[in-house]
Amino acid sequence: MRLIRKKKLSIPIYMPERIIKYSEAIQEATDQMMGADPRVFIIGLGVSYPKGADGTTAGLKSTYPERVFDVSVSEHGFTGMAVGAAINGLHPIVHHGRVEFSLLAADQIFTQAAKWNYMFGGGHPVPIVFRINVGRQWGNGPQHTQALYALFGNVPGLKVVIPSSPKMAKGLLVSALKDKNPVVMLEPRWLFNIKQNVPVQLFSEPLDKAVIIKEGAEVTVVAYGDGLFSARESLALVGDTVDIELIDIVSINPIDYKTIFQSVKKTGRLLCVDTTNGAFNVGSEVIAQVARNKSIKLKSNPVALSCPNVPCPTSTALTEFFYPTKVDIANALLSTFKKPLINQTLSFEELHLAPTDTIQ
Amino acid sequence: MFLIRFTEQALVELYLKHKIMSFVHFYVGQEAVAVGVCNNLRKEDRVLGNHRSHGHYLAKGGDLRAMISELLGKEGGSSKGKGGSMHMIDTSVNFIGSTPILGSVVPLASGAAFEQKYNKRKDITAVFFGDGAFEEGVVYETLNLSALFALPLLFVVENNLYSVNSTLKERRSANHNVEKIVTGFGVTYLKADGNDYEDVFEKARMLTKGIRAGAGPAVLECMTYRHMAHSAPIFDDAAGYRQEDPLERRLERDPIKKVRRSLLESGIPENTLVTLEEKIRTSVAESIQCAVDAPYPKKETLYTNLYA
Ligand SMILES: Cc1ncc(C[n+]2csc(CCOP(=O)(O)OP(=O)(O)O)c2C)c(N)n1
Ligand SMILES: [Mg+2]
Repeated sequence: MRLIRKKKLSIPIYMPERIIKYSEAIQEATDQMMGADPRVFIIGLGVSYPKGADGTTAGLKSTYPERVFDVSVSEHGFTGMAVGAAINGLHPIVHHGRVEFSLLAADQIFTQAAKWNYMFGGGHPVPIVFRINVGRQWGNGPQHTQALYALFGNVPGLKVVIPSSPKMAKGLLVSALKDKNPVVMLEPRWLFNIKQNVPVQLFSEPLDKAVIIKEGAEVTVVAYGDGLFSARESLALVGDTVDIELIDIVSINPIDYKTIFQSVKKTGRLLCVDTTNGAFNVGSEVIAQVARNKSIKLKSNPVALSCPNVPCPTSTALTEFFYPTKVDIANALLSTFKKPLINQTLSFEELHLAPTDTIQ
Repeated sequence: MFLIRFTEQALVELYLKHKIMSFVHFYVGQEAVAVGVCNNLRKEDRVLGNHRSHGHYLAKGGDLRAMISELLGKEGGSSKGKGGSMHMIDTSVNFIGSTPILGSVVPLASGAAFEQKYNKRKDITAVFFGDGAFEEGVVYETLNLSALFALPLLFVVENNLYSVNSTLKERRSANHNVEKIVTGFGVTYLKADGNDYEDVFEKARMLTKGIRAGAGPAVLECMTYRHMAHSAPIFDDAAGYRQEDPLERRLERDPIKKVRRSLLESGIPENTLVTLEEKIRTSVAESIQCAVDAPYPKKETLYTNLYA
């Protein structure tokens, strides 16, 4: 048992410590929201399986037999059907097991759902959640690992969140299902087995607010998803040498610049971590906005870490060098401050197998 | 067929020993389809495949060692370790490529056939894909296009009754009729017993003959079973979803057993067959050893090959 202070209550109450996985947190949010709102249904390949959608829809078919739809391999068709159902009052969750599969439905997501309310002059909401898995795992290769985050950030009319922890996954999905707009939840596959203490009851996390994970005075680190996970790990490596402020950007559409600007004003330094290719990514957008802000005086050039501008290959001999690691992040920070670098080789497991750590 | 089966059996062992760091979709049980079709193709004919293409690749004559090296992520792999199991290629035998985005390879195959027609070649193209991929809209667009342009294209649908763990019943209405759909596009349709090499061979022979003669595209739907789990080196009967194709039925209709039986019946002595099988197993074992010993790609190659 652990003492947890509930936000709205003034008296502390006892809540059981409840550590669950990222995938379980998504499942729980879905289950609870389906219980609360009969308009919510879920559709996607294999979502009705006992351990459906990598565990994120496990058991839902037996709880809600009429509202969980396995479907033909027809992404454009079933995504469009869900968008149409949303326009007409339901609140679908559409699941795509890889971002590449969702591209077959790009028209429905980007050109139909995202535009509908605007192009008809308002008053025509499209309440829908696109849960889209972003691959990163050994052996997935060029066509199953594209980290196309920025693509979704680029389209006005979508709200785009990237949960970085089990708690965020639950809270953001709940918010997404209470929102009247198309919300894209980009889920880094790499994080599915990380664990955290997640409240049992329904709670929501704002869709448009960055979260300060750790306060600090000397440098602002902005990251999301699996990059944020590595950035968290790098904190321990850097220790007290550098006083880091770590920000989980959470939403890339819209981006919470208020939080970021405030932080960079204080620290005067900025490091962005992306787990996507270097060109046109979240970090480049954040750095551009910071650079344009006249009230921010940077003490050193902003730094961007990301993957190289090539597809992610399959062989682990090559993917070993693909994603920025906790050591890369730590060293980028240390070199900004001209401190001695860390020389640590990561094990095969650390490099290639998805983490199972429990985070705070 | 024996080569495909023995290779994958050896790969299962290797996979279980955790040496394969690449998604693997085993073809065990479906060998008669690839071989029955490809034995009607010439070297110049083209083949494209999907995520489950070890069999298509080997049946077209793809290099065994390069394939295994690719699965192991080695420098000498057919894609230098960049592709892995879901991306087979050997253009020296006109195996044009395979990709795991369902349906995507079908219009690409029509492009290969388009080129053949455009340049007045006498060759044809065959594309292998599953019953799941057959539900993607682009396949229907391509049926129409290929009929419109009278392309020399054979669509080979490997209907193993499942898309991952979803049965046909969960994905199609009871009135779904493939033959009516296909012929409605003006495309020829035949259905074969995909567990029976001779039936596949015979029907593929008829269709490829027509295609070569300029009759336009055709669909060959082969009813078959995938013996193993969707993408793991295991038999998943215990998981309980195999309602359509229980183990006994699969084993009884195993295409390898059937071919073996008819070879024996045709008068080939048992020991000749055993010697042949041993020879294949040895060559597979040698290729695996060779791939295991081969070097991994160098870091610099991460950045190469982006542009031609
Ligand atoms: C566009 C797309 N959607 C979903 C998937 C995920 N997926 C990979 S294989 C597969 C099953 C495909 O079934 P089928 O085409 O019948 O081939 P089989 O695996 O049975 O050989 C699915 C759904 C994918 N690879 N591509
Ligand atoms: Mg199938």
